Parts: sequence; structure tokens; C-alpha cells
Amino acid sequence: MKEKDLKRAYNNVLSQTISTSQRFLFCGNLLGDIFILDLKELDKGTEEPPGKLKLSAQGSDVDINCLAFHRDYLIVGAIGLIYGLQWNEEEQLLSTKRAWEVKIPMQVDAVEVPDVNSMWLHSDTDTLYAGCGDGVIYQISLEDGRIQREFRGHTDYVHCVVGNANGCIYSGAEDGTVRFWNDKEKEQTAMLEPHKNSQLLRPDWGKWIGAVAVNDDWLICGGGPRPAIWHLGSLECTRTLDFPGRVHVCDFVDDCVLLGGEHNHVQFYTLNGALQSNIPVEHTACYSSVWQTTPFKFMSISGFSNKLHILKDFRFLDSKIDLYGNVEGKDADTDESEEEAIFCGDAL
Amino acid sequence: MASSEEHDNKMVEVLNNQFEKLREAMDEMFEMKANGLNVEGKRSSAALLFVALKHSNREVKRSIKAGRDELHMEKSKVDLSRLQLQNLLYEVSHLKKEIIRCKNFGAKFNLELLSDEEYSIKFPNTPKEQPEMSSHKKHLHRLECELKLRKALDSQYNILLSSKQELLQDNLSQAQRYTSFAPALRTLMESTKPLHDALQLSLDVEWKLGTVVKYLPKPLYLLFINMQSLQRVLDDSSFKAEVVGFESDAQMQELLMAKERASKQSTSGGERRHFLDENNSSESSMENLQNRSLEPHPLHIKVIIGSADSPYHLLLIIRYWGRLKCTTVRAEFCCSSNNNHQGDANFVQDLLRHLYPNDLGDEIPISGIDYELQNLNMTSEDCMDFLIKNDFGYPYCWLQSMCSIPTVNKSKLYKHELNLHNCTREVITRIRSRWNSWLKLTQQIRGLTYKDIDLYSLKENIYPAGLACSLVQCTAITLDEFHHQNADAINYMSDTKCITYSTYRAVVVRGSAKMECFIQIPSNYPMEMPIWVLSIHWNGCHTSKNNSAIKMMECWTNSLQPKHLDPNDNFLYVQLFRTIYSFDIFLETEGSMQSNIEYNKEKPYISAFAKRIRLRPYRYIKKGSVYAFKQ
Repeated sequence: MKEKDLKRAYNNVLSQTISTSQRFLFCGNLLGDIFILDLKELDKGTEEPPGKLKLSAQGSDVDINCLAFHRDYLIVGAIGLIYGLQWNEEEQLLSTKRAWEVKIPMQVDAVEVPDVNSMWLHSDTDTLYAGCGDGVIYQISLEDGRIQREFRGHTDYVHCVVGNANGCIYSGAEDGTVRFWNDKEKEQTAMLEPHKNSQLLRPDWGKWIGAVAVNDDWLICGGGPRPAIWHLGSLECTRTLDFPGRVHVCDFVDDCVLLGGEHNHVQFYTLNGALQSNIPVEHTACYSSVWQTTPFKFMSISGFSNKLHILKDFRFLDSKIDLYGNVEGKDADTDESEEEAIFCGDAL
Repeated sequence: MASSEEHDNKMVEVLNNQFEKLREAMDEMFEMKANGLNVEGKRSSAALLFVALKHSNREVKRSIKAGRDELHMEKSKVDLSRLQLQNLLYEVSHLKKEIIRCKNFGAKFNLELLSDEEYSIKFPNTPKEQPEMSSHKKHLHRLECELKLRKALDSQYNILLSSKQELLQDNLSQAQRYTSFAPALRTLMESTKPLHDALQLSLDVEWKLGTVVKYLPKPLYLLFINMQSLQRVLDDSSFKAEVVGFESDAQMQELLMAKERASKQSTSGGERRHFLDENNSSESSMENLQNRSLEPHPLHIKVIIGSADSPYHLLLIIRYWGRLKCTTVRAEFCCSSNNNHQGDANFVQDLLRHLYPNDLGDEIPISGIDYELQNLNMTSEDCMDFLIKNDFGYPYCWLQSMCSIPTVNKSKLYKHELNLHNCTREVITRIRSRWNSWLKLTQQIRGLTYKDIDLYSLKENIYPAGLACSLVQCTAITLDEFHHQNADAINYMSDTKCITYSTYRAVVVRGSAKMECFIQIPSNYPMEMPIWVLSIHWNGCHTSKNNSAIKMMECWTNSLQPKHLDPNDNFLYVQLFRTIYSFDIFLETEGSMQSNIEYNKEKPYISAFAKRIRLRPYRYIKKGSVYAFKQ
């Protein structure tokens, strides 16, 4: 199978982020490529096909696990490493040189370099919270790149970190717990264990928590166990949602709940638990969703496939955008040279 | 003018006045005389009037002279401009004549001139002409350059001519020298003949072989000689070229050809016919005519590729077609043991088809062949059908290149290979390496389908400590069955118009779990690698469409490239082991979450899952004595 076909068949987009100017969408995949989509293309009307994407290769050894955007820097979470790339909005150029790097320290008993699985950016305080493969959440100051604090407690790797404006951090992990943290306290302030709730447990799928989302009063989490809505004050599970697959994505969108994961649909539920819309997707599993309501409304869902799914009204699928094969300047067939390379590898 | 007229009028008036006064004076004097008065005072005053009259007279004369001078001046001016006009007219007629002459000159010689740039390239030291030069001047400049160029070329030509003459002279003298050796050599040979016989050296044998070669058509002759020389130079026994056919046939054909030519000359303008045609042309049907005119040269070349100790050989039969002006090759699979090798015959054709990209050999790559065939009432498609029907093989472009036949391929690209040595060498190497890799592949496929391999002991088994699964079945399936599997790996395959696929289904079992592997082997292997599509039946059916873990497994198997492994490794086996271990890992990691545990952790891995995608440790890492499966 040719390399470009392989890339198209097994493209796995784990993360997306929107630039501060809300004009560009960045998608990173496990093959070390970052796709840059000009959002203007989505807004310009349905007749003409959207223009091509830009591609910035980070090297095939870089797994892009998560992305964030702060001021004019794209922040990339890779393996054992977080780095920033300057984004030049005028020239639409992503710098190839890393502007800064933060190394995740290896734990004493660690045998593997930890992945940076999830990042939550608190823009007001210029702080980045990174949930890593060693089960620790690192609080990193973006002013000097120093690790300010480590949140320890999870016994397995962290899937997801989110927070809210008043300094509370919530994390879901492979150990099946959702832990609540506070800037002011050393230990976790509270913990949920959805798999201990018999209504939520799906025994064949394990106890891991793949996604967490919060608003002022409520928290959603799901993974191996069924997704459910919890009340932040009382830590009670108030509503169970019937998403049929493993959960990797959840979010509060307007007054609905978005759920996605290893299922051929993403679903919107009302806060009462009623299914509102059921949107078919091509991803084997969905891993990321980003959305905005201004300057125009759109949501992009990515996952284990070569396509971005674009929703404009959060109810119906609007369009699908190819990633590989839809990149500026790279579509010229390089069959011949590729073929020669393979041929030379063959023993004479 | 007006002033002079005025002046004249004044003068007339003045004169008239004076005359009047004079007459009055005369009349008065006459009267006075008649009256007898003294007129002396009156006469003197009247005489004074004459002075004034004289003065006026002078004035008049002066003005006449001035007028005459003016007139003369104007006249000379007119004369001058008239002269100029004459001059100009003459000049115009002269230029017109010149133009006509130039035109005539241009028409006569009608030179094909190069552009300014080309001249400036040819004469870099001439000054750069000014951009404001008129087109005529430019043309002149170009002519000048052309003249210079021609002179230079002429001198070159002369030099070459003289050097040619010299070489000819040289050649002649050398030839004379060599011929002078001939009698001496002949006597030497005759005198040493007894010695040859005594030593039983047979110098003539090789020469005799060569006599058949002599009758080969030119392209095949070139090919044969090149192959032979290559073989001798490289001292390579892995390929061998032979001429097949009889001298007598070739001689016969040559004779018949000569006869045909002669007959054609005698009946010039008649329909083109084949040599046998002349007796019974009237009753021969079109088909017969075609068949006979499409006849290969009686001699053909057989090339055997494959090392002497291997039981399998690749046989290439190369024929030359005088009418089609091209050569064709047919490949045969040749096996010294008597095993039944169904399907193997197909792949040898594929091997040649995919030797070079876009050279499928499905049309005759000779320029203008359509036109020539029209004379025989044939089309090139008919000829191709004929060649395929009779199993004569295909006219690949690379083959024509080896025979130094100029080709025009599908994209209308003209190619005439002149470096035959390199070309032949490259093609042979390529065929040989493809042949070897195909041989390996078919052995692997045979091993899998007949299950006559020991999975435990194969060197491709990366993790010899344990193989919990077993391969229970491997069969060929139809392409439809394969496409029934809905996987991105199939959907995203590049458009492959000329590649055919053979497909297999392998079943691997461990406990209650079953894995079906659908394997697609492209006909242009090893340029493209086999693709595996997996589906696991265990607590439901898991495929790459509904389970990301399976998709990662498939990715891990399909991303294997030849550069990742040892040259001696069997590619398919490596893929098989990769898949089997991935299956094990899948079951063991998945099993760790199950309520009733069927599969325990047996493989050495650190963590069962990593990353948000819960990636399983499919990758096998071995460093010295430490080995583990990792993400």
C-alpha cells in the first residue's frame, strides 16, 4: 500500500483548536502533521467547494496528542513535551521552529516517557494544565515555562483535564475516577467513581473515564461507564445518558450535551437526558470537538478517519472536509520516486 | 507691392502735374508772345520746370531698376526650389529601385535566420545591439551574424572533411596492414592444425554456434549479442540466452524474401503481398492473409532466468515480427519438479506487465505502425488480438529498448535507447529481482495455504516465547468476497487501473475468539505490498469500522514496509506474525477488563493502554536481552 493511501486510511486526528482570532482551525494527528483550515472557507457559502488546507509536518516521530492556542502561539502536546509554535496570522504561516519547549519530568519509577494527553488553558492567568501519561496534572506557567505545581492522585494515566474560571480543575483518568482539584488545596477536593454506580457500569468496557466537561453547576463524564450528568455541589448523579458507545468526547453546547466516542454517531442530549439529535459520522471513534458561536456558528468533529465533520447549526451534519489529499501543494503524484524507493529496498 | 504701386501712382500724378504746369507755362508764353509781351521771365521760370521733370524722370528709372532686381531675386529662388524638387524625385525613384532589388534578393535566397537571442548566444563577443535599432537594421545585423555563422560552419566542415579523409587514409593503411597478415595467419593455422587435433581443442565449435546467430534479425541480434557479452563480462550464471530455430529456416525465409522483392519489382504498383501469396492470392481469405503476413521470424531467443540450483526458472521467449517491426516477449514458468503450480503461470505475465510503470504492453509502441498496417488491411488492435490469442506475448516498450527499436508510448513520448548495454543490464537485473521476490512470495502463499510451515520455528517469529494463536485455514477467495469487507484501507486505495489482485482469507483462532484476515496481494508486488483487512469475532464482530483498536491493528500490519525488515525475511510471514501478535495483545488487553477473564496477560507489556485513544502495545521492542511490547 502506498504511503499516501496508508495515511489516508489510518489518519487519526486526536486534537483540534481554534486560533485566538477565531479565523483558523488547527488539527493534529498521530502521524505528526498539523492541518490548518481557514474558517472563511466554511462561511463563504455552500456552492463552491472549500479551499485546500495547509499542512505543517512536525516529523513522523511526533504524536500530536493535544493542541491549544494562546495569543499567537499554537501549543502542541506531544510525548513528554509541550512546545509552542508561533502562528503568523498575516502570512498564514505556522513557524517550523519551536518557540519554546516544556519537558514533562520523568517520574522516578517511570519506564516510559509520559504522553501529554490533555491540556486545559486558563487564559486569564496564562496557565496551562496538562494531564499526562504518568497520572499527574502539571500546572505550567506560560510566562516562564516553569512547572508551578503537580496535582497527584490518579493511579493511571489522565484522559482529560478541564477547569473553570474560579480555579477549579476536574480530571478524568484511566483509573476510573474523576477528581476535583483546587488551586488552594494540595489534595484533591472531591472524587467521583462512576464505575461504582451499577447504573453506569458497563462491565465489558472497563472503568476508565475518557471525557469530562463542566459548567457552573454540572459535570458530565463518561468513558467505559455510561455518560452521566452530576451535580457539582452534591456530587449526585442526576441523569444517565444512553450513549451506546465508549465516550471520548463530551461537552456542554448551548443548553445541550454533546457526546461522541467509539460509535458511528455523535449525539446531542438535552439536560433532561432526551436524545435531541443523532448525527452520523465516518470516524471509527471521535476524539475531538471544537465549536464557536461567534463570528459564525460552527462545530468541527474529528476522530479516527481522514475527514473533519462540520456542523453549522449543531443539529445536522453540514459537510465533511478531507484532510490528506486535500492539502495545498502536496497533491502532485510522487508515484515514481516512491516506487523506486520501494524497489531499491527489495533484495536483489 | 502696394507701396510701389502707390509710389507709381504718385509719380504719375507728379508728372501729370508737371506736364500740366509746363503746358500752362507754354500756353501763357504763347499768348504773351502773340500779344507781343516780354516772355523772358516766364521762360526762365518755365525752364526750371524742366529740372523738376528731369528729376522725376530719374526717379522713375530708379524704381524700374529696383523692380527688375526684385524680380530677378524671386526668380532665382524659384529655380533653386525646383532644382531641389528634381533631386528629391530622383532620390525617390532610386530608393524604389533599391527596394525592389532588396525584395528580389530576399525572394531569391530566402534565408532562414535564427532569432537575435540565438545569434547573441552563438556570438557572445559581438556588442549588444541597441534596442532602438530599426527592424531593417536588426535584419541586417542578423544577416551579418548568419554570414559569420555560415563561415564558421564552413570552416568546421572543411576541418571535419579533412579529418575524415585522414581517418579514411588511416583506415585503409591499417586494413592493408591487417590483410598483409592474413596469409601468414592462415599458414600458422594450417601448420598448427595437427597440434589442435592432438590437444583436442575445438576452436570451431563456438563459431558454428555463431552461424545461427548470423541469421537473427537485426534487433534480436543486438539483444542476443548484448546479453551474451553481459553474461561473459559479469560472469553471471543466473541468466542465459539461446537462439532457438534452424539456420535452414532462416535461410529459406531470406531466399523467399528476396524472391518476393524481385516479384514485387517486376509487378510494381501491385498490391503488397506476402511471399507465399503470389500463387493463390485470389482464393486466400483475409484471415489467412493476416495470419501469414503476421508471422514471426523463424528464429527466436530464449532467455532463462533463475539460478542453476533453483528448481524454478523464468523462461522468456522473445520473437521478432518483421511486419510489426517490433519484438514480443512471452514469459513461462518453468519448474523442474512435477508439482502442480496453478495460478503461478498468471503471475509471470504480471511480472513483465508491471516491470516499468505505464508499460503494460497492450499496444504496439511503434510510430506509424497503424499507417503501415493499413496497407495490409489490418489495424494494430487486430494484431494485438492475434498476438494475445496465439500466446505470443506482449510488445513492451522496455523490450523494444533492449533491441534498440525506437518506441512511442501511450503518452506519445518518443524514445530510442542507444545505451543498449546499460539498458539490457538494468532490465535483466530488474526482472531477476522481481522474479526472486515473486518466487519468495509464492512460496509463502503456498506455505500458508498448504499449512506446510511451522509457525513456531520461522525466523520471522519475532517473539518466540509464545504463540497462543493458531492459523487454522488459509484459502483463496474471490475479489468480490474481499470487497464485501468494508474497510477504509480498501476505500482509500489509489486508483489502480492496471493492477489486478489476488485475495486470500486466513483464519486465526485463539480460544473462543476468531480472527479473519482478508489479504489482498497486488499484481505489481513488490512495488505495492499486500493489504490486510481484519475482522475479529469475539463478543460480537469487531472490524476497523466499529472498533478503533482493530483499526490500529490493521494500520500496524499494513504500514509494514520492506525497508523495515531484513532482506531475507519473508514479507508475508512478517505481516502474519505482526497480525497474530496484535491479535494476542488485543485479546489480552481487552480480556483484562472482562468480568469473566478468558485471556490472561501472557505477553510482556508495561501498560495495556496509553493515550486518549487507549492504544494497545502492538509494537514489539527488543533491545539486547530486554524485550517488550509497547505502544
